[in-house]
Amino acid sequence: MSDDELDFDPDELAMLRQLFRSEAQDALETVTARLLASGSARPSPEALTEMMRVTHTLKGAAGTVGRHAMVDLAHRLESAFVALGREASPWTAATADRVVEVLDALRGYLDHVDEPNADALADALRAQIDHISRPHRPAASQPPAFVEPLPETVLGPESDAGPPPEPKAWLRVDPERVDALMSSAGELLFDRTRIERRVQLLRTLARDLARTRQALHDAVVDDTAVRSPARIALVDAEVALAGQAALLSQTTAALLDEIEALRRTIGELQRGLTRIRMESARSLMTHAARTLRALRRATGVTVELRTVGEDTEFDKAVAEHLVDPITQLLRNAVAHGIEPSEERSAHGKPPVATITIRARQDGHSLVLEVGDDGRGIDTAALSKRLVATGAWSAARARLANDADVLAALLDTGISIRGEADELAGRGVGIGLVRQTVAKLGGEVKVASTPGKGTTFTLRLPLSTALAQAMLFKVDGQVYAIPSVHVSETTLVDAHATTATVRLDVVPVLRLEQLLGHGAATDRKPAIVVSFAGKRLVCTVDKIIGVREIIIKPLGPLLAPLTLYAGATVSGSGKVQLILDPAQLVRRTHPDAPVAAHTDPGASSAVLAGRALVVDDSRAIREAMTSMLGNEGWIVDVAEDGARALQMTRQVRYDLVITDLEMPELGGFELIARLRKDDRFKTTPVVIITSRANPEHRRRARDLSVRALVAKPITRRKLLEALSAR
Amino acid sequence: MAELRNVIVFTIGAVRYALELRWVREVVSLGFVTSVPTAPSALGGVCNLHGAILPVLDVGVLLDDVPGLPARQGDGALVVEAEGLVCALRVDQVDHVASLHETAGAVTDATGRPLQLLDPGRLIRRALELVTVQAERTA
Repeated sequence: MSDDELDFDPDELAMLRQLFRSEAQDALETVTARLLASGSARPSPEALTEMMRVTHTLKGAAGTVGRHAMVDLAHRLESAFVALGREASPWTAATADRVVEVLDALRGYLDHVDEPNADALADALRAQIDHISRPHRPAASQPPAFVEPLPETVLGPESDAGPPPEPKAWLRVDPERVDALMSSAGELLFDRTRIERRVQLLRTLARDLARTRQALHDAVVDDTAVRSPARIALVDAEVALAGQAALLSQTTAALLDEIEALRRTIGELQRGLTRIRMESARSLMTHAARTLRALRRATGVTVELRTVGEDTEFDKAVAEHLVDPITQLLRNAVAHGIEPSEERSAHGKPPVATITIRARQDGHSLVLEVGDDGRGIDTAALSKRLVATGAWSAARARLANDADVLAALLDTGISIRGEADELAGRGVGIGLVRQTVAKLGGEVKVASTPGKGTTFTLRLPLSTALAQAMLFKVDGQVYAIPSVHVSETTLVDAHATTATVRLDVVPVLRLEQLLGHGAATDRKPAIVVSFAGKRLVCTVDKIIGVREIIIKPLGPLLAPLTLYAGATVSGSGKVQLILDPAQLVRRTHPDAPVAAHTDPGASSAVLAGRALVVDDSRAIREAMTSMLGNEGWIVDVAEDGARALQMTRQVRYDLVITDLEMPELGGFELIARLRKDDRFKTTPVVIITSRANPEHRRRARDLSVRALVAKPITRRKLLEALSAR
Repeated sequence: MAELRNVIVFTIGAVRYALELRWVREVVSLGFVTSVPTAPSALGGVCNLHGAILPVLDVGVLLDDVPGLPARQGDGALVVEAEGLVCALRVDQVDHVASLHETAGAVTDATGRPLQLLDPGRLIRRALELVTVQAERTA
């Protein structure tokens, strides 16, 4: 069977083969994983069966896309697995090695399958595969690697050494990959917040609808004095409205349940990813011990470290942020807390002081305590200093109790001692501890008993969903934008309405007008925001930079304010609002069909929304789904025009992409029917086709089709069609 | 018919209000208040309360469309939970917790001084309405 006999046109075949290649790579990956799960030992019968099944599927797929050499290779590999599955066949470490080599070679072959030397590669592979199950009868064209077989240790059933212990397979992963996944999970949080907000709006809408119905009911239904046909029609309408309102609120409630499920799943995902990054408190404690040794040498203070709960596990990201606060607290204890030995002895204390670091889990919190057995904090002296530095009024100091004074130590970061102090700084350190911990979503408390000691308690979330965001200032307040949507920063002249970014002219959104009062009088720093293929430049007062933030929901009351995607809390406990890039883009690209009730208009550029892809090839449908998905679209697919028409009755799409030749209902027929529907009169439609003749173009123009795109579809072609005006 | 309720009595401007204790989660002194551009004036801003975002509402705007003082750090506030959400009402002064006498719609405290009894559900519904209208206007 040659390529011509296949049921695909050349473009489709190319695309399908592309899909096959990645499927085949996955299949080989699976077989390798199954094989290696038991190390070099014989795989379990279940594993072998699975290896056979996957190979068999691979054979079928290869046939579908006309990869005949691959069909043969997969068939031989399957037979080899069958042979290995027989009880009598020996299994040695070298057997496993041979299979792995074959799998690797197959992967390599797939990469070069269209090259001139592919046939030679296939021949070599054939011999290599046959050699797996018959190592003692080497094939004629055996590759050099097998000329001198390695000495083999027999691990088969005839070995009386008992089953070898199953080695645990450890995975070594570049931490950056995990971080990338974490940040994607963080993005999911933003996405969920967006959806949640829209559902809150739906809920309000459902409530309003119920009220409207009630009003209608009160006005006409109860008024039985009138018996006109109009009243009967109104009564019917009221009944229908009641049903629809009930359905809407049920659907909304169900949607909320599903969002809740999504929330749980995202939580699971984040917890799972976090567990990958979990580490014990031991390294933090080791670091503390080192710091304290250095402090002891520098100051001559005799102090010992006691650690409790080294095995407590918590997020590595949290751990990294805790190094500085712990160091600060140790310095603080040595500089302020611990008395000289003679003073300690005079008070009947052991001459050597002890600093204790305790780590423990408490529900979803990590609790870290750093305590010393020193002199404790003199709250009276501290209160005086609060007044002397102007942090407190005298009246406030009089009313304050010890706990208030200690809390002020954390808030104001004032020094316990008056004089400057190289070791602990001017108490600024304590303020930094509080800030760092607040940033991580935790809190710090301090307890102190005169003569007995001081303990700082840090309570932190066990794990943190940190996202990267660009922070900037407008009108005195700090705002954030998720940094995945920020491409660069620039400068914009006063009054400019556009800016040039990498040779493109991009609209300017003046955030000082949107978020503050007044217009810019001079050049302003600006942030280039991109969302769903659209860019804009946002002027700000000051760029702070990219920071890690924790995203918090704004809650149902603020949900209607779609400008905000959420909020975060700064180190000093201030709320900072996160702007939703989707909404910013809408302000400069108002034709973007983000809101369902705005007509996209046939002549405007299409941004993102919900798209319907109609094509009878699964490969094409999948390829389009992935391309559009990358651009931020939600994609539904239909295999023919009839099914598409059915779907459009239920959902209003912002974009329809359709093939021409399809069973049941063709592309032009579909578009013609859609255009008769008011909801789809101006919806952008793109035709994808492998044969576009002048007659096709004429019909497309008559139906206000935005563009005809020739197959094969590439991302660039698709984007051009979508941005066509 | 006299009815006895546990209320918290507080003052905003020149008006004394009462709110049933069952709605009140806590009485706090506000942290830094972040203003929310494009929000209606009924929303005085947002605060961080135990790590969560807390909207601060202006009772004057919600009841009579008369704005009170802007919410600032250190101001007193009642954290109220009703209609499934939590928000703060900025107050000038919290007076005391009392038993309330309600006689034929007229509400007084034990000394017979008049009080305005607040319905937090109504306040929150009104706030939601104002926010929604404003959001539609600025969208």
